[in-house]
Amino acid sequence: MQSRQKRSLTIPTVLLLGILFLISVPLLMKSTSLTLPSSLPQLNTIFLSILIEAIPFVLIGVLIAGFIQIFITEDHIRAWIPKNKFLAVVMSCVVGAAFPACECGIVPIVRRLIGKGVPLYAGVGFLLTGPLINPIVILSTYMAFGNDMEMALLRMGVGFVAALVIALIISILFKSNQLKKDKGISHSERKGNKKQPFVTRIREMLNHSIDEFFDMSKYLIAGAFVAAFLQTYVSTQSLLQLGNSQFQSAFVMMALAFVLSLCSEADAFIGASFKNVFPTTSILAFLVYGPMIDLKNMIMLLSVFKAKFVFVLFILITCIVFIFVNLSSLL
Amino acid sequence: MKFHFQHFLKALLLGMFTLFFANLHITGDITKYVNPKYDYMSKMAAIFFFVLLLIQVTRIWQEKHARHACSHKCNHDHGDSQWSLRRIVSYSIVAFPIVTGFMIPPATLDSSIAANKGFLLTQDSNEGRGGEERTSLLEGAKSLVEKENIDIYSSEHIPLPNENYLSEEEYDGKLQLLQKSESIHMTEDMFSTYYAEINDNPKSYIGKKIKMSGFVFKEEGLASNQLVISRFLITHCIADASIIGFLTEIKGADTIQEDTWVEIEGVIEVGNYNGSDLPLLKATSLNMVEEPSEPYIYPVLKLLGK
Repeated sequence: MQSRQKRSLTIPTVLLLGILFLISVPLLMKSTSLTLPSSLPQLNTIFLSILIEAIPFVLIGVLIAGFIQIFITEDHIRAWIPKNKFLAVVMSCVVGAAFPACECGIVPIVRRLIGKGVPLYAGVGFLLTGPLINPIVILSTYMAFGNDMEMALLRMGVGFVAALVIALIISILFKSNQLKKDKGISHSERKGNKKQPFVTRIREMLNHSIDEFFDMSKYLIAGAFVAAFLQTYVSTQSLLQLGNSQFQSAFVMMALAFVLSLCSEADAFIGASFKNVFPTTSILAFLVYGPMIDLKNMIMLLSVFKAKFVFVLFILITCIVFIFVNLSSLL
Repeated sequence: MKFHFQHFLKALLLGMFTLFFANLHITGDITKYVNPKYDYMSKMAAIFFFVLLLIQVTRIWQEKHARHACSHKCNHDHGDSQWSLRRIVSYSIVAFPIVTGFMIPPATLDSSIAANKGFLLTQDSNEGRGGEERTSLLEGAKSLVEKENIDIYSSEHIPLPNENYLSEEEYDGKLQLLQKSESIHMTEDMFSTYYAEINDNPKSYIGKKIKMSGFVFKEEGLASNQLVISRFLITHCIADASIIGFLTEIKGADTIQEDTWVEIEGVIEVGNYNGSDLPLLKATSLNMVEEPSEPYIYPVLKLLGK
């Protein structure tokens, strides 16, 4: 009773604060825009362009997440996922490869799947191959490298094997689902939902999608802002001068992929532009690493999973991709 | 019935997102953020946001008890919980891009970004990231021309299988025109293609007249009579922009400020920069112009069917 009282008191206060915020920010922007450095509108434009590019994919992602929440039960999941760990990982990677997603849209989906009882390792397999291997990415890679299938095949092959290995190592290292505590409570109330009419369930699904969107978008926005900030103020040229040997340049390209946070559908063209600067191995590293993890994506993952897990996953992806990409040059 | 303030706030934000995306298309500002080829994605987003807004509006006033089927066990935020500083920050972050989006007009990328992207001329043989990308697409096109050389002239009599094929021919036709013509006009639609072709074989274009517009960009190591007339090439969104441009020589280049938009006419020569051949424009005239309404160059993705 007391807390209810408290809440009704705080709402007007917050309302006031919110209105103040909404009024003051534009005013502040307007009054200072005359003195702002010209780089700020540039930063803002890059920031918004990343968001405008990513938000449609996030919307698709949250709609699918909403669908999973309402229509897929834990029983379904139990029936679909093989008991055998290795088979489960293989299956998740194959499903991810067939599933056209981008790296920001897939995070809410994976979170919902794991919440529904999909084992962590299967979720990771899906998370890694979803954005990396899909028809649009293959097509753009094929085109960016002069209608040559070699790079597209290498990207898929190396990416798939790396994702398999990473997911398998995750299956050994982590036993629990690693979701953040407040988000990891399992659902057991689904049974009652089944009896509800279809229209109600569709509404439920959309309600979930809306809440999921607000949950996810703040991390996407933060990530996009950091990526835009780095693009505006940090010269990539200085980074490129570091890469002399094959190993160094592979690392440089991976760092670049991480920082730029490009959509996996557009990164092939950027990667291709380094053809004359760096060996194929380094470009492959760029193409495989970027869709698996980048700055924007990692901030979103941190919102879903425990920080320790995200950190281990980050290290694993970095090491495994580095090793496999360099091994591929021996082929 | 109870008024849910957080649901109201979410509805408000969804409404603002709908307006923001719709506004981008109404004003045409969308081209300043993403390649118009992909604008259907953001149109779709505007529609999605509108549908979600309609759903969300119905949640503002609800019966106290019928909030949500899983309100106590669900693992994400339904906006029913109490206010906290954390929550205020969350909503502020979501509101942030809408506020800056409406308040700060989209800027055109300028030479400071170009300098960060760097290596326009310092790269080995192929300068400009975009240049290479075009080159690679072009290679495919060239081989197609070779393969289907005979068909090109008789194509009028053959019913065309589909539109892509036609655009392929148009594209090849324009490319052939470039190779034959004595004066080249770098129009926006073919800019990247022509750029890559000239960049690739500068020697075969020596002596040809060229007309182009772009913004002035200067790299370290340029002589006082040199500048680069450049454009940004946008593959998908502004964040993946790469810079392409021709090294240009004109008297008094050092007096022209960076980021000035100019239109030049000149003659193509071959110069040497850091030990590699590259096209060099000897400008015969230079006029300051207004920044064009579409400052960016988008690659011709004819092979995608566009």
